Amino acid sequence: MSKKITRRAFAASSAAAAAVAGFGFKPALAQAYPARPVTVIVPWGAGGGTDATARIVAALLEKDLGQPFNVVNRTGGSGVVGHSAIATAQPDGYTIGMLTVEISMMHWQGLTELGPKSYTPLALMNEDPPGIQVSSGSPYKTVKELADAIKAAPAGKFKASGTGQGGIWHLALVGWMQAMGLAPNHVAWVPSNGAAPAMQDLAAGGLDLTTCSVPEARAIIEAGKARSLALMASARNPAFPDVPTLKEAMGIDYSTGAWRGIAGPKGLPADVASKLTAALKKVFDSKEFKDFMSNRGFGTVWGDATEFATFMDKGDAQMGVAMKAAGLSKA
Amino acid sequence: MRLPDRVTGLFLVGLGAAAAYGGWQLPPVPGQPVGPNVFPLVIGTGLALCGLAIAFGIGHSFEEEEELIPVEGGQPPPPTGKFYGLRALLPPALLLFYVVVADRLGFIITAALIVFVTSTALGARWKLSLPLAVLAPIGIHLIFSKLLRVPLPAGLLPMPW
Amino acid sequence: MLKTLIDAFALISTWEVIIAMFAASIYGLVIGSLPGLSATMATALLVPVTFYLSPIAAIATIVAASSMAIFSGDIPGALLRIPGTPASAAYADEAYAMTRKGEAELALGAGVWFSAVGGIAGTLSLMILAPPLAEIALSFSTFEYFWLAFLGLMCATLVARSSPVKAIAGMFIGLLVSCIGIENPGGVPRFTFGMTDLFGGIEPIPALVGVFAVAQVMRAMLTPEPPPIPRRKFGSIMAGQWRLTKKYHWQMTRGNIIGIIIGVLPGAGADMAAWVSYAMSKRFSKEPEKFGTGHVEGLVEAGASNNASIASGWVPSLLFGIPGDTIAAIAIGVLYMKGLNPGPTLFTEKASSMYAIYLMFIIANIIMIPFGIVMIRLASYVLRAPRSSVMPVIMLCCAVGSFAIGNNMFGVVTVATFGIIGYVMEENGYPVAAMVLGIVMGTMVEQAFVTSLIKSDGSILPFFERPIAAILAAMAIGALIWPVLVWVWRRLKGGAPAAASVR
Repeated sequence: MSKKITRRAFAASSAAAAAVAGFGFKPALAQAYPARPVTVIVPWGAGGGTDATARIVAALLEKDLGQPFNVVNRTGGSGVVGHSAIATAQPDGYTIGMLTVEISMMHWQGLTELGPKSYTPLALMNEDPPGIQVSSGSPYKTVKELADAIKAAPAGKFKASGTGQGGIWHLALVGWMQAMGLAPNHVAWVPSNGAAPAMQDLAAGGLDLTTCSVPEARAIIEAGKARSLALMASARNPAFPDVPTLKEAMGIDYSTGAWRGIAGPKGLPADVASKLTAALKKVFDSKEFKDFMSNRGFGTVWGDATEFATFMDKGDAQMGVAMKAAGLSKA
Repeated sequence: MRLPDRVTGLFLVGLGAAAAYGGWQLPPVPGQPVGPNVFPLVIGTGLALCGLAIAFGIGHSFEEEEELIPVEGGQPPPPTGKFYGLRALLPPALLLFYVVVADRLGFIITAALIVFVTSTALGARWKLSLPLAVLAPIGIHLIFSKLLRVPLPAGLLPMPW
Repeated sequence: MLKTLIDAFALISTWEVIIAMFAASIYGLVIGSLPGLSATMATALLVPVTFYLSPIAAIATIVAASSMAIFSGDIPGALLRIPGTPASAAYADEAYAMTRKGEAELALGAGVWFSAVGGIAGTLSLMILAPPLAEIALSFSTFEYFWLAFLGLMCATLVARSSPVKAIAGMFIGLLVSCIGIENPGGVPRFTFGMTDLFGGIEPIPALVGVFAVAQVMRAMLTPEPPPIPRRKFGSIMAGQWRLTKKYHWQMTRGNIIGIIIGVLPGAGADMAAWVSYAMSKRFSKEPEKFGTGHVEGLVEAGASNNASIASGWVPSLLFGIPGDTIAAIAIGVLYMKGLNPGPTLFTEKASSMYAIYLMFIIANIIMIPFGIVMIRLASYVLRAPRSSVMPVIMLCCAVGSFAIGNNMFGVVTVATFGIIGYVMEENGYPVAAMVLGIVMGTMVEQAFVTSLIKSDGSILPFFERPIAAILAAMAIGALIWPVLVWVWRRLKGGAPAAASVR
């Protein structure tokens, strides 16, 4: 095993010498990982929340490990293309990437074979729970009032949105309905092209509630056009201290969330993986990272390689249940 | 590739019918009164109707047809061979060539080949096409790879920057 | 107010900001003017750069680069008939026809002048009218969007130079292309044929590059080198713009207003503004028969509208964090990254930063005029360069530009495929611009229609009940039956129109 790693490291570093220098020979053999620039694949476009998180992580890794960490946005296929680029990269530590919650959803829909098991998990960095938002003109002041009205109303009367059909916030709604003992589609889901258009439609009076995350709804809430009634999380978000959790507000212990974590392709050498996890822990604890995330209202959740793996497995099973209940699963 | 209206119209009828059929087969989505099948069905039908109208010249009389200005000046030259028309397929073929070999040969070599072939096909002498094939790829590589960090494949001839 | 303005001036008069704006302007002009590269791509590629800049300098680069790139996308549109944005596809044929008539200076001069005027008008609307404009944005639900998209699609027939039936067919082909992928309301894979790369659907930009840029190189392969444009001095670019402003001041104002209103509606944006304005210009023109033959009137209105919508598109972005278009989506990301979170607090607590953004918009639109003139002069050499040296560079730009959007080789495949589609369509008289419009609007039409029906439990009444929806519906239906009424009226009057008697 160790021999194999050495050979691979040799191949990698000599390739690195050729790639970086272009000509000539550099004694790169003795250098420890990372000996050349590392590519960080982001399955989503430049300018989004995942991109921003990946960029701050990459910049801090670069500072710590002394090699450039280049963020590359591999978009397309609704995230499938980028996720599969991470999974199929050379497992040499020079290509890693940012996984998002979609990796535990897409395979249930039959869109890809990839799942959490296709990667070497390195670290969980962030999780954002869904909130429950209503427009400022809505008669419901607390989530309890809203829930009672939903229960009393016939199925399909209430309309909710936040993302596309089968997206994470749709499943959050399904999970909440089931936790209340209602049918998964008791509140009709109106697919939208992301959280921003859904919040706009909520303010325009086209919807009854949205279940996107609070940071996504923040600008509209601050504009006084909507308010957040509850979080589907185990604890409050320090950036929004007035919003109670579902458990506090109505005794329902249901939580889920959209998460982001760093992983490499399956079969990453153990020494490389542990070095990266250690570096990511430093990044996570750094002031820059904490400040950045709290400014955007993103939740920070740490999980090392094993915790991340367990976390993904648990989430994967939970998603499977919700998706089957909602009739979204092909598996 | 100038085809009679009847041919293109009937092709559109076929395309529209195929789209409508393909859409019709999609399963409905729970909770949506209008499923993903409706939009392709409507569009396919509309396209097929347009195709029929074009094939049979309806609508010519409906609104005044404006004169189509030829895009490029001059008359097409007399075809010099049987396969002269296939030259038009060269640009897309070169792009597909790029997709297939760029990762192996690298950007510089692939791009140089594309520039050289395009330029020569358009009648450039080697005095123009050869320097162009050397300089254009390097210039583009400088801007995109160096300045904007687009991960262009290095391949066999990595640039020293 | 005055104090915040002074603070804002202080914020932007640092060397970092000035250099950033200067460099980003040149960058935007160059990238935008290269055929096959787009303003969206230019902005996306700046994100990593902005990461290392101070907040104001970062916004400055985005503002300057995107404004310049949108304008300079008109340059290859006019000179080579390769538009840089779906918006400039609306009037690329017109501008190119002017170039062929030897009026390239006038066309491009009108582009830069009325873009700058529109940009400044849009910025003023952003400064003065942001709250009421935001109310407009928030009064649009999916019912209104459906009619808006419907009206947008109808512009295809007015813009086209060819037979209206073929224009509609082209638009339907575009709508069909927009069906591809899983980003439909049902979230199910549609026409993907099991290809992962097709899940995300076909983006308008690679399709645009394919049908215009690649198809142009394909045509060049079969046609002889066109006779060179007479060797004369490229005339003054600004001459005559003042005359045009006076002559078409009403068209310009209308373009500005339409642009501002459509711009604040998230999702519609600049692309639709240019189409609607060009179509309106033709519909209400005193000399509609001149449209398509190299007539500047439509360029005035569409150019004024296009850039006005870009500035006003920042209203929902800044106030609610709702992006108006793809460029605004990137800009919002940069704002967040720099701690300038969109929302009303931006207007109160960070008012000086806000005013700095306004000032940068105005400055960008002012320096667009001299920079644009230099760029147009440089680009005009393309008209004299041999085709065998221009086309290969276009090919490279197509390959790199389509790859760089998602760092995905599939983009190059898309461009090549749409090159063939565009070539065949164009050869047979199907306007490709109509197809591009279909691709741009398709998702919006379907999304708005399906989600509206879910919300109304299957009833179509709300499409006509809500006040704004009712107005838009009346406009759409009116525009739909108007040509029929005219036709019937002409028939009844006896003297059948010339075109009808020919057949």
